[in-house]
Amino acid sequence: MTRDLHRPGGRLSGRLNGMLVAGGLILLPLAAVALFAPALPLDPLSIDATRQLFSPSWEHPFGTDQFGRDVLARSIHGARLSLALGLGAMVLTAVFGVVLGALSGWYRWADAIIGRVTDTLMVFPGFVLAILIMAAIGPSAVNVVLAVAVLYVPRVIRTVRASIVEFRDAEFVEAARTVGVGDFRLLFAHLLPKAVGPTLVQLSFGFAWAVLVEAGLSFLGLGTPPPAPSWGGMIAEAREFIRSAWWLITIPGLLITLAVLGLNLVGDGLRDLVDPRLRERSTV
Amino acid sequence: MLNYALRRLLSFVPTVLLALTAIFFLTRMIPGSPIAALLGQSAGSEQLDVVGRDLGLEKPLLTRYAEWLPRVIRGDFGTSLFYSDPVIDVVADRFPVTLYLATLSLIVTILVGLPLGILAAVRRGTAVDYGTNVFSSLGMAMPSFWLGFLLVILFAVHLGWLPASGYRGPEFGIGEWLRRLALPVLAQSLAQIGLVIRMTRASMVEVLGQEYITMARLKGLPENRVVFRHALKNAMTQITTVIGLTFALGLGGSVIIENVFSLPGLGQLITVAAVRRDYPMLEAGVFYLTLVALVVNLAVDLSYAVFNPRVRYSR
Repeated sequence: MTRDLHRPGGRLSGRLNGMLVAGGLILLPLAAVALFAPALPLDPLSIDATRQLFSPSWEHPFGTDQFGRDVLARSIHGARLSLALGLGAMVLTAVFGVVLGALSGWYRWADAIIGRVTDTLMVFPGFVLAILIMAAIGPSAVNVVLAVAVLYVPRVIRTVRASIVEFRDAEFVEAARTVGVGDFRLLFAHLLPKAVGPTLVQLSFGFAWAVLVEAGLSFLGLGTPPPAPSWGGMIAEAREFIRSAWWLITIPGLLITLAVLGLNLVGDGLRDLVDPRLRERSTV
Repeated sequence: MLNYALRRLLSFVPTVLLALTAIFFLTRMIPGSPIAALLGQSAGSEQLDVVGRDLGLEKPLLTRYAEWLPRVIRGDFGTSLFYSDPVIDVVADRFPVTLYLATLSLIVTILVGLPLGILAAVRRGTAVDYGTNVFSSLGMAMPSFWLGFLLVILFAVHLGWLPASGYRGPEFGIGEWLRRLALPVLAQSLAQIGLVIRMTRASMVEVLGQEYITMARLKGLPENRVVFRHALKNAMTQITTVIGLTFALGLGGSVIIENVFSLPGLGQLITVAAVRRDYPMLEAGVFYLTLVALVVNLAVDLSYAVFNPRVRYSR
């Protein structure tokens, strides 16, 4: 479809690796601090009335908030929270998405039901539905994971279903069936592996989206409840001090941007690796 | 054409019904929670029963659904738990603000995003392409509410050019109305422009790589004509889809932007209703926002017929 495809190893393959590398370089430090946060001598919750709203210094590189809590500690534990929730949501999405997508691609009766439900869920502006669900099940970290999974699972179902449908009638499936391979094995050993790549791509974008949704919900007071150090919640708490304490609002926003950017880059890079034809066809 | 339009219009009805169904069951996933939330933790079970009976909560879920659906189709979402007016009146009151915000943002997004996307596609691989890519990637990664606050810090706090929050309707003067909406629209647009740039670029790149474009160039047509008359026209179907999608996303995004700038729109109403667990209000708000998204989606589908003759003449 594009001219560069005829030049393997040309400029573009350099660029696609570049996207993966850039995404990785952004995400690695975030993931590392998230992983080792509990081991660091930083407490995101300890309140100190004598150190309210300190601007960034050697002692508090990111300053302190209105309760005298260390913003660096909150940012790092925020990374842990944000990435853990996003990862949790994507694991849940992957499990349900793959199973339901496989059923939907293989059995027509399942497709009729699952297709209708996914179509319906995708009718809503995503974030609005997230608000509705959070209002119904109540604000908590676990519920954010559930809400994001419910919202994102239709996309993964569609991706998996598309791969299954594409190869359902292929000759290698026919051949396997001829030698007596059963439905179950056909599906899981022969067809699903074809869906792994596209699904991983979809999940990286989903991860990025999950970070944004968690931040948005927590900002509105419908996500992770305080005093948990959620980046979105930190921005909500900082809005009162927008005129006096710039660091309170800028730092968590920068971190969200970095995390989402990194995850999107990884998604873009993976997509190019998985299927060059899909290049440029960005997903939401 | 008529056939296609009719079929598309007919499928609109079940879609709306399914959306309502989803709203009903999603808000009632946890039985009893609204009353408990309403009365607080201290309420005794006897008290819960009384209120529950008043709200009809003792009936089975499916019975309640059978009663609820015909009622809301007539536009009766019930009474808010906090406002004395019927829910539908409050929603109608808030609707224009959200529509203004979403529409103005869409206009800005198209005016900036479309040309940038075309430019990036035409100048593929150059610094212009790279620059727009960085711009769109950053735009898609930044949370819109944070961007909103950054704009407030710059334009309201430091420069003092624009108000940081609040709203005044257009009936009090277009100038003031635009001034109040400027920052929200800017924040919303910056958040969605990235997507439009990317998708425009992608569809233009795809079309520009096709043989008939090479042919047009070989015929010696001026480049402008090739890009705008031959390529853009064919990329329009995909681009229209993206614009429709952006509008739907914008409606979701407006929820958050309205909260940043204290705009009395539907999004703010929904958030407050969600926090207070005012379900009738929440359901109505979510439904009407979704309905707008659906109508736009329908319009986009119908516009395919205009841009793409294959759709027009299909069975």
